[in-house]
Amino acid sequence: MANVPFIGVKTHAQKVCSLYKRALRNLEAYYDRRNVYRYQAVLLRDRFDKNAKETDMVKAAELLKQGEQELFLVQHPIPRCFATSMGGVAHERVVTPPDWVIDYWHPLEKAHYPEYFKRREQRKKEFIAMWEKEYGPADKKEEKH
Amino acid sequence: MNNMKYSICFISFVFLFLMSMINFFFMIYFIMNNMVIMMEWEIISFNSMSIFMSILLDWMSLLFMMFVFLISSVVIYYSKSYMSSELNLMRFIILVLLFVFSMMLLIISPNIISILLGWDGLGLVSYCLVIYYQNLKSYNAGMLTALSNRIGDVFILMVIAWMMNYGSWNYIFYLEFMNNDWEMNMIGSLIIMAAMTKSAQIPFSSWLPAAMAAPTPVSALVHSSTLVTAGVYLLIRFNMMLLDLFFLKLLLLLSGLTMFMAGISANYEFDLKKIIALSTLSQLGLMMSILSMGLPDLAFFHLLTHAMFKALLFMCAGVIIHMMNDMQDIRFMGGISLYIPMTSLCMNISNMALCGIPFLAGFYSKDLILELVSFSNLNLSIFFLYYFSTGLTMFYTFRLVMYLMVNDYNLMSIYNLYDEDYVMLKSMMVLLFMSIISGSFLSWLIFSYPYMIYLPFNLKMMVIYVSLIGGLLGYFISNMGIYSVNKFIMTYNLSNFLCLMWFMPNLSTYGLSYYFLNFGQNLLKNIDLGWSELYSGFGMVKILKKYSGFYNIYQMNNFKIYLFSFIIWMMMILFMLLFNN
Repeated sequence: MANVPFIGVKTHAQKVCSLYKRALRNLEAYYDRRNVYRYQAVLLRDRFDKNAKETDMVKAAELLKQGEQELFLVQHPIPRCFATSMGGVAHERVVTPPDWVIDYWHPLEKAHYPEYFKRREQRKKEFIAMWEKEYGPADKKEEKH
Repeated sequence: MNNMKYSICFISFVFLFLMSMINFFFMIYFIMNNMVIMMEWEIISFNSMSIFMSILLDWMSLLFMMFVFLISSVVIYYSKSYMSSELNLMRFIILVLLFVFSMMLLIISPNIISILLGWDGLGLVSYCLVIYYQNLKSYNAGMLTALSNRIGDVFILMVIAWMMNYGSWNYIFYLEFMNNDWEMNMIGSLIIMAAMTKSAQIPFSSWLPAAMAAPTPVSALVHSSTLVTAGVYLLIRFNMMLLDLFFLKLLLLLSGLTMFMAGISANYEFDLKKIIALSTLSQLGLMMSILSMGLPDLAFFHLLTHAMFKALLFMCAGVIIHMMNDMQDIRFMGGISLYIPMTSLCMNISNMALCGIPFLAGFYSKDLILELVSFSNLNLSIFFLYYFSTGLTMFYTFRLVMYLMVNDYNLMSIYNLYDEDYVMLKSMMVLLFMSIISGSFLSWLIFSYPYMIYLPFNLKMMVIYVSLIGGLLGYFISNMGIYSVNKFIMTYNLSNFLCLMWFMPNLSTYGLSYYFLNFGQNLLKNIDLGWSELYSGFGMVKILKKYSGFYNIYQMNNFKIYLFSFIIWMMMILFMLLFNN
C-alpha cells in the first residue's frame, strides 16, 4: 500500500473502482438471473467506459459525485450478500475462540481434562523447541500471551 | 458426549409424542362425552381476594395441547440432525422444553395470573431462542422481539391490577356475568392489545420477521405455529366478552391490513425464512380478523391447520438452508427439486395447503372462512382486503416455488446438493401426513353441524379467480428476461415502502428509540456530566480541596498561627468561665 498516502484517503481512480464494484453488486441484487445480470453489467461497464478517458479532473469529480448519488437513489433495500460475509445472516454465527484462551483456564477447570492438558503442555514445549531451533530464541518484548 | 446429546433428543421426542397421543385420546373422549374438567388449588387468600392455580381441560385446550406436543416432538427429532454440529444442543433442547411448558401453562389456565406466567415464559424463552446464535443480528432481533412482547405483558399486568377489584382472577367466571360492564369492556380492550403484540398485528408486526434470526427448528415451532397463536388463543377464550366492543371492529381493520401488508411484503422479500414468516403474519391476520367477526371456532380451526403446514414449510426451509451452507437468500437458489425431491415434495404440499388447494389442510379452513366473509354483512374495503390477501398468498407462494425449484441454481458453477439424512425427512413425513389429513379430520371433529352457505356463482368462484390471477402474477414476476424492465426501480419509492413492511421495522426500532436516546444523550451531557457534576461531584471536590488547603496552612508549618489560635481559644474559655456567673 505504498501508493496510499494516508489511510482513508483514496485516489480518484480508487473511488471510481469502488463505485463500479458497488454498482455491480447492486445490479446483482436486482437481476438474479445470471444472463440478465451479465447484460446489465455490460451496459453499466459501457457507461463507465464512456468517461474513462476524461482528463478534466473537475468534470471527472463531478461525474463521480453524480454516480454516487445515482447509486444511492437506486440501492436495493435487501442487498444480496453471502451468508457468512458482513451483513449476511450467518455472519459471526460460529465464532471459534483462539487457541490461547485455553491457557487462561483456571487450574480447577484444567483438572477436568488432565490428559489433554498434559499433552498440550508437552506439545507446547516441543513447538517452542522446534521454533527456537529454526528461528532462534524469541524476543521477550514481543511476547503477548 | 455425542450419544448423550442424541439420547436427550430421543427421550424428549418420545415423551412429547406420547403426551400428544394421550392428549389426542383424551380429547376424543372429552368431545364425545361433552366434558369439561376444572381443577382449582387455592394458593393464598387475603382480604376477600384469593389467588387460585386453576386448570381448565376441555376439548379445545386438549386439542391445542395435542398439536403443540406433536409439533414440538417432531421439531426436537428434527433438531437432532439440524443442530448436530451445535456445541450447546442440551441448552437448546432444554429451552424448547421450557417453551412447551410455558405454552401448556397458557393453554390450560382460565386464570389471568397463571396466564401471565405462561405468557411471560413464552416471551422470555423466545428471547433466549432468538439470541441462540450469538451474533449482532440475533441480538438486535432478540431485543426487538422481547421488547415488543413486553408491551403485551404490561397490558396483561394492567388487567391483573384491575381484576383485583373483583376479588379473583378466574376470568372465565366474569365473561358472561359482567358482559356489559364498562370495566369489563376496558379489560377486553387491554386483552386485545396484549393479543395484538403476541400475534404481531399491525403496530407490532416488525418483530416476527426479525425473529427469523433464530435457528430454523425454533422458527418452525415457536414463530409459526405456537407462540404467535397464543394471542389468537387468548382472544378465543375471551371471545364471549369482546363481541360488543368497538375495539374489536378496530381489530378487524388492523388485522385485515396486517394480512394485506404481510402478503405484499412477502412478494418483495428475498430471505427464504422471512418470506415464510411474512406468510405466517398474513395467516395470523386472517385468524384475527375472522375472530373479530365473531367466529372463534373458525379462527381456532385455521390456527390448528395452519400450525401443521407452516411448521412443515419451515422444516423444509431448514433442509434447504442446511444444504445451501446457511444461505437464505432465494436469489442464490434454484432447481433444487432435482436434488432433494422428497423435501421439495413436502414443500410443495405444504405450500399448496397454505394456498388452500382443495382437500389439503388449508382448504377446509380458508375456504370456509372466505365463504363466511362473502356471506356476512361487511364493509367493502374489508371484503377486498380478504380477497386481495388470498390472491397475494398464491402470488408469493408461486414466486417462491419458481425461485426455489424452477429457475436455475445461482450460487456457484460446481455443486452437488443432496438430502443429508433421513432424520429430518422422517420428522417431516409426520407433519406431511398431518398437513394432508388435518383439515378434513378437524372439520369433522370440531363442527358438529355443517355451515350452510348460499352464494351467487361468481362470488363462490371468487376465491378461484383471485388465486388464478395471483398464481399467474407470481409466475410472471419470477421470470426475468434480458430486456424486461426493472419495475422495482421504476416505482422505487413505492416498492421500497412495500418491501420494508411499510417501514414498520424502522419505525418500531429507530422511530421509537431515537428521540428517547437523543433525550438521554442530552441529559447525560447537560445534567450528568454538566450541572450536577459541577455542583455535586466536581464542585464538592473543589470546595473540599480549597478548605483542606486552608486548614493545611494552619496545621503544617505555621506553628505560630497554631499556637496563637490555641491561646485565643484558651482565652475565650477563660473569659467564659470568669463571666459565667
